Amino acid sequence: MTPRSLAALLAAATLVALPACGDDTDSSESTDTTAAAEAATTTAAPELDGEIVVSAAASLTESFTELGEQFEAEHPGVTVTFNFDSSGTLATQIQSGAPADVFASADTTNMGKLADAGLLAGDAVTFARNRLAIVVKPGNPAGIDELDDLATAGIVSLCVETAPCGKYADQVLSAAGVVIPADKVTRGQNVKATLSAVADSDAVAGIVYTTDAQGADADTDEVEIPDADNALADYPIAAIKASAEPEAAAAFVEFVTGEAGQKVLSEAGFLQP
Amino acid sequence: MSESARRPPPAVSAVGLVAVALFAVPLAGLLSKVEWSTLVDDLSSAAAVDALRLSLVSSIGATAISVGLGLPLAWVLARANLRGRSFVRSLVLVPMVLPPVVGGVALLSAFSRTGLVGEPLYEWFGVQLTFTLWGAVLAEVFVAMPFFVITVEAAIRGFDSRYEDAAASLGARRWVTFGRVILPQIRPAVVAGAVLTWARALGEFGATITFAGNIAGRTQTLPLAVYLALEGRTSLALALSVVLLAVSLGVIVALRDRWLQRA
Repeated sequence: MTPRSLAALLAAATLVALPACGDDTDSSESTDTTAAAEAATTTAAPELDGEIVVSAAASLTESFTELGEQFEAEHPGVTVTFNFDSSGTLATQIQSGAPADVFASADTTNMGKLADAGLLAGDAVTFARNRLAIVVKPGNPAGIDELDDLATAGIVSLCVETAPCGKYADQVLSAAGVVIPADKVTRGQNVKATLSAVADSDAVAGIVYTTDAQGADADTDEVEIPDADNALADYPIAAIKASAEPEAAAAFVEFVTGEAGQKVLSEAGFLQP
Repeated sequence: MSESARRPPPAVSAVGLVAVALFAVPLAGLLSKVEWSTLVDDLSSAAAVDALRLSLVSSIGATAISVGLGLPLAWVLARANLRGRSFVRSLVLVPMVLPPVVGGVALLSAFSRTGLVGEPLYEWFGVQLTFTLWGAVLAEVFVAMPFFVITVEAAIRGFDSRYEDAAASLGARRWVTFGRVILPQIRPAVVAGAVLTWARALGEFGATITFAGNIAGRTQTLPLAVYLALEGRTSLALALSVVLLAVSLGVIVALRDRWLQRA
């Protein structure tokens, strides 16, 4: 295990242990001056403030963290706090009343659940697409070239069935007719945990999103899954109706679907919607 | 007269009541959400039975190892003329305060196939601990053994060493003294330590999922099953939670004499 991946794992652990401890400092005083400065330099962006919690799929961790910083730079009065986990977990949390202002899911199913429950402010918008890839140890020592090889590879890391990445992986495997024995499948609670079982532990291979396979902190090699066998994951985003900061939430959704958001997402390897 | 003078003022009692509510309300909430009608079905599902079986096997195994290794360590810590004893004692305490998931990361760094010890273990003997039941047991021993060591060490230290001196002056060897003089006297502490260790091992989550992974029927113990059932199969998660709650209550009842009647 390299220090960097260890650090990433520790950071992930800390994130899990410390949910939503955002900066609560009330910036109403400073907002006046910064907003004035902004009005002088830029064309009247509406003055926003407050704190928003963005619940986003784990596969969006890097790109949304970057987008959050850009968004805060553009709206100095707004603090963006992220809650990254599997979309299934996040949808369950929001349904049971967890505070969230924006939800970005890695599938339409979990977004649909919230829409059906009447929890969304307006319709969800697809802002990115993703594909799956096989990840293996650096240098591919187990010689895994295709999905078929996973059946006999050893321990394979997949996401839990309730996480979109697990659902897509199961689809892809069954479409290809590949059966991995149940006692060889370890299930990660979200895509980052699934990747970490290969990068930091002894899983021989895993199935994650291409963006995670190519991510900067992936100490793994990627084996592509051909388009014909692959699944296409749609990522929808929507503001949550119960938000206390509806304007900031809407602005963040607009930011992600807008030019700046799309630039960061395609740099991270996401496909355009 | 004196008794009422010792009684805390009403405001203090009120705050104490809030503290009690803090413990009681979540448990009441849990019980209120359980679907009792499907409880038996939920608990007899394959996933639940596997998780129950794995939890029992791994936690009992972890307790046995903790007793086997922890008893000598407790004896050494309590009685050996050891330089750096406080350092060793602190080391033993670390897993009790360390977040379990960090314990899991530490175990990975040491015992994964590329780890400090795990690499030679795998290269020379073909032994892999990650993603195995043994890995789950190791994770549980790591987080739970301190409870045994600390409990038993305190008991040995509290034991009047003049009995040991007397036994020695009568010609008893040290093994005999420990087995015939010390052990019978500290037996309640040994039992309490073992039960605490077992309960902690049974509840282990963070180190287990990090180090042993989450393989249904192989390393997916009760707490992992609860966590993962929470999305989609809430009734199963609640049913398994009730089992763990019942076990916890059982432990407290079993240790009642030790904790609740001392006051």
